Amino acid sequence: MKRQFTRRAALLAGLAIATLAGGMAEASAQTIRMWTFLNPAGNAPREKALAEIIANFEKANPGAKVSVEPQVWDQMTPKFLAAAQQGTAPDIVWVITDLLGDAIKSGSLADLNKLFADKWSTERKKDNAGAYWDLCQVDGKQYCMFQSRNYVGLYYRPDLLKEAGIDPDKLTTWPAFIDAAKKLTAKEPAGTVTRYGFGQAWSEAQPDPQIVIPYMLAKQGDLFDAQGRARFATAAGIEGLTLQTEMVTKHEVTPKLVTSWTVDDLYEQFSAGRVAMITGASVRVSTLQARMGKDKVGFMLYPGVDGKPHSPGVMAGWAVGVWSKGKNVDLAGKFVEYMGGAEADKIWVNVGGQTPGLASTPATMPDFIADPANAYLAVAGKGSATAGWLAPIAFSVGGYRQALNKAAQEVVTNGLSPKEALERAERDFNRRNNR
Amino acid sequence: MRSSNVSAYSYIAPAFALLGLVLFAPVFYGGWYSLQDIRYGAPMGFAGFKNFARLLDEPDMGATLLRTFIHTGFSVVITIAIALGLAVWIDHLAPRFAFLVQIIVIVPWIISTVVAALLFRWVFLNDIGLAAWAARALGFGSFQPLTSPAGAMSLLIAISVWKRVGYAVIILLAGLKSIPDDYNEAARIDGANGWQIFRRITLPLLKTPLLLVAIVLTLSNINTVETPLVTTGGGPGDATRILAIDVYERAFVNFDLGGATAMALLMFAGNIILVVAYVRFTKWKA
Amino acid sequence: MAGTSASALLRPKLGLGASLALSLPIAALIVINLLPLFWGMLTSIKPESVIFAMPPRFVGFGPTNVHYERVFVSGFAQSFMISLFYSGVAVVMALACALPAAYAFDRFDFPFRQSLFLLVVASIPLSLGAAALLIPNYVYFVHLGLVNTPYALPLIYAAHQLPMAIWVVKGAIEAIPRELDEAAIIDGATRFGVLRHVMLPLSRPALGAAGTLAFVGSWNEFVAGSVMIDAPWLRPIQPLIYSFIGFFGREWGPLTAAATLAIVPILIVFALLGRLIVSGLTKGSVKG
Repeated sequence: MKRQFTRRAALLAGLAIATLAGGMAEASAQTIRMWTFLNPAGNAPREKALAEIIANFEKANPGAKVSVEPQVWDQMTPKFLAAAQQGTAPDIVWVITDLLGDAIKSGSLADLNKLFADKWSTERKKDNAGAYWDLCQVDGKQYCMFQSRNYVGLYYRPDLLKEAGIDPDKLTTWPAFIDAAKKLTAKEPAGTVTRYGFGQAWSEAQPDPQIVIPYMLAKQGDLFDAQGRARFATAAGIEGLTLQTEMVTKHEVTPKLVTSWTVDDLYEQFSAGRVAMITGASVRVSTLQARMGKDKVGFMLYPGVDGKPHSPGVMAGWAVGVWSKGKNVDLAGKFVEYMGGAEADKIWVNVGGQTPGLASTPATMPDFIADPANAYLAVAGKGSATAGWLAPIAFSVGGYRQALNKAAQEVVTNGLSPKEALERAERDFNRRNNR
Repeated sequence: MRSSNVSAYSYIAPAFALLGLVLFAPVFYGGWYSLQDIRYGAPMGFAGFKNFARLLDEPDMGATLLRTFIHTGFSVVITIAIALGLAVWIDHLAPRFAFLVQIIVIVPWIISTVVAALLFRWVFLNDIGLAAWAARALGFGSFQPLTSPAGAMSLLIAISVWKRVGYAVIILLAGLKSIPDDYNEAARIDGANGWQIFRRITLPLLKTPLLLVAIVLTLSNINTVETPLVTTGGGPGDATRILAIDVYERAFVNFDLGGATAMALLMFAGNIILVVAYVRFTKWKA
Repeated sequence: MAGTSASALLRPKLGLGASLALSLPIAALIVINLLPLFWGMLTSIKPESVIFAMPPRFVGFGPTNVHYERVFVSGFAQSFMISLFYSGVAVVMALACALPAAYAFDRFDFPFRQSLFLLVVASIPLSLGAAALLIPNYVYFVHLGLVNTPYALPLIYAAHQLPMAIWVVKGAIEAIPRELDEAAIIDGATRFGVLRHVMLPLSRPALGAAGTLAFVGSWNEFVAGSVMIDAPWLRPIQPLIYSFIGFFGREWGPLTAAATLAIVPILIVFALLGRLIVSGLTKGSVKG
């Protein structure tokens, strides 16, 4: 008994020393640490893309090493802010858009203009210009560069739409959209619906923007006033929420279940063929294509109002920044520059299935873009350029999607009027954010 | 006398050193943190009790507390009832069979919390899951428990019970096994039947394990956020919005770290009060 | 076997009617508990395109190991080993601290005994709660220099499991008759000798129960494991599993594969220690 115990203890100790030693061998003077949710050791397309980009960088810069420490995505930014205070932050961090304002104001992000962007040619500066670039700019300083750009629009089943004789390009008004959804809703003879025309996801857990938001953006331009207070209970808001909820209550193209569906549930429903169109994010198209087949997932922009063909979709992404007090600021800046450059952008698109970040990238890969399965990249790009909206960073907007989703739940489950529900949402949002 | 006190303290010293270092000290730091004005993720100056005052200002707090009380109350009572029944039954089984049943009982508890909740949701609750498909195949109508407030709360309670029964069974079973057979034997000789033995002998001797289970289950239900977050997300409307979700949202959705820490500390104080109340109520002596 | 016949005498078997009445809830128990696990294991070997097929498929698809491959490529083996290390050390530390403490609380009388025990109980909520106390906790551990080291999690897990371990073991010690203590002391044992020769063997079921609880609690812990650790080689197993519920959605295949693999050690620990729980070694220890 005793011998077994000592043997086991020795094994454990040996294991401990081995793992310790293994870990310690990694650190070196020219190592930069990066926090992201991607794991370069993994074999998902995005992860392989990151691994390739890192390998290229290390080859071109002998002696440099990029050490990735994958984090849980929703804890990463608060953890970074706390770590920056304590002096243990990584050299590079991926910041979520919701917290970008706070990260910049905390002084933890370095000015990329000083690090590399000032030295760029006019051509390169133009290539990077756009809403994403502007969002990172405060008081003339450039605090981040965006990766993993996302655009929330609509997914549809090309095969089902074709079967029903619907042309996705013609869905530029909401009435046309509702009509299409009705045609796509399939019922059994007994009356049970086997497939809904339009799926939504109204859970408060990890919510994506639902159609009330594009509607409001199209009509009133923004969701918040200059002081960051919510502007939900406006005429546009009430119309938008009515539109969103009547899909369930009046047109019956959306199931009542959406009050409990999370975004993940919705994609699963789409995968299972139980809904024909859904609100969806461009970053997940490649995942669903892998699951369902490239010809079963199409991407389109929202219908428009007042004669415009499309309503603005919400844009999001991850802002990559350099820790201002790191020990390897220059090398970190070099890597961020490379990761957002033309060569890396091609890898992100080709290998990782991401939307192009630079204006010049689509022209360098005509065949890839021309492939109908990759048409979503062009649509998302068009949406970002012509019909997109990024949440402001001057004030924190955490919880706005949750508040609006709850409003929709209240209308359908508890019978509140859209006006009441939106007023409550405004109050909750303002109070939670101290406005 | 003195020397035995010294040796007593030396026996409990390692435990308290560990607890002090890891659990108690951070509470003081958290206390200091909650009194700061936290902006951009960092303490930016003393704020006094502002964080706490803001919490008490909230109009919804009362309703959230009530929902928490309902959820925790029902979960704990049902879990203990089921666990006690299972433990007594397993106690009567032959060892091999008892072992097998115990494994079956603890399966939900040993799967990672979020994965277990997700799987339960997928199999039993989703309309594309097994239960819904079986119901449709057998001719029952659609099964959508998550769309009604009462249904959602009942389901949250059901998952909370399902996840924790295994843990309670282990503790209660260990307690049952500690009761010497001689007590039961003596009572049977005196003419008592099974139920009387259970009430008069077993239950009182199970006081300590029962109290432990009650306290841990209560605290676990109040503080765990993953299960409600994954199952219902707080919906529909506010129907399942309990304290744990509220605190989590404050910290990770609204990024109000000062308020979240204040709330967490208040919850901790509430937990202590509950524990003391349980101990007093059962007149339990250490 | 002597054991079974003795217990048969002392524990009357349930009658036929009671057995039948029990079988329906028991069948329900088996279905409710095992079906999600079974479905998860099945999902882990389904190709991506079949996972969401309607109607749900049980057979008739070609099983694939592509998800398990992905899990291992993502560093599962390393996380598995390091988690074994963390949980193993935590269990040993927790039990090593719990047994003497439980013994002292039950058998000694010293000033503040009651309050100190209540303090132990009061630390249970600290180990259970506080995803919101995350950031202050993180900062505190950075100050201690423990963040991102191999020592952080074993210490944290041991402390988390300690209150419950003390209580469970104390419960067992309460049931050990003091006559045994006295008998040993008369035979010349010191207090420590009583601890080693009387308490330790007789509280084995409780140590088994506490050890199992501590192992499962440490193995399944997620919050501290993800916050206190940055380096991939130190990352325990739960953050790895949860990484498949990523920013880009739930990857059910690798998620169920990783979760399935993760319950194996628990089943093994239970197989080793669980017997202690059901064996009832304190049976018949009082000889008149």
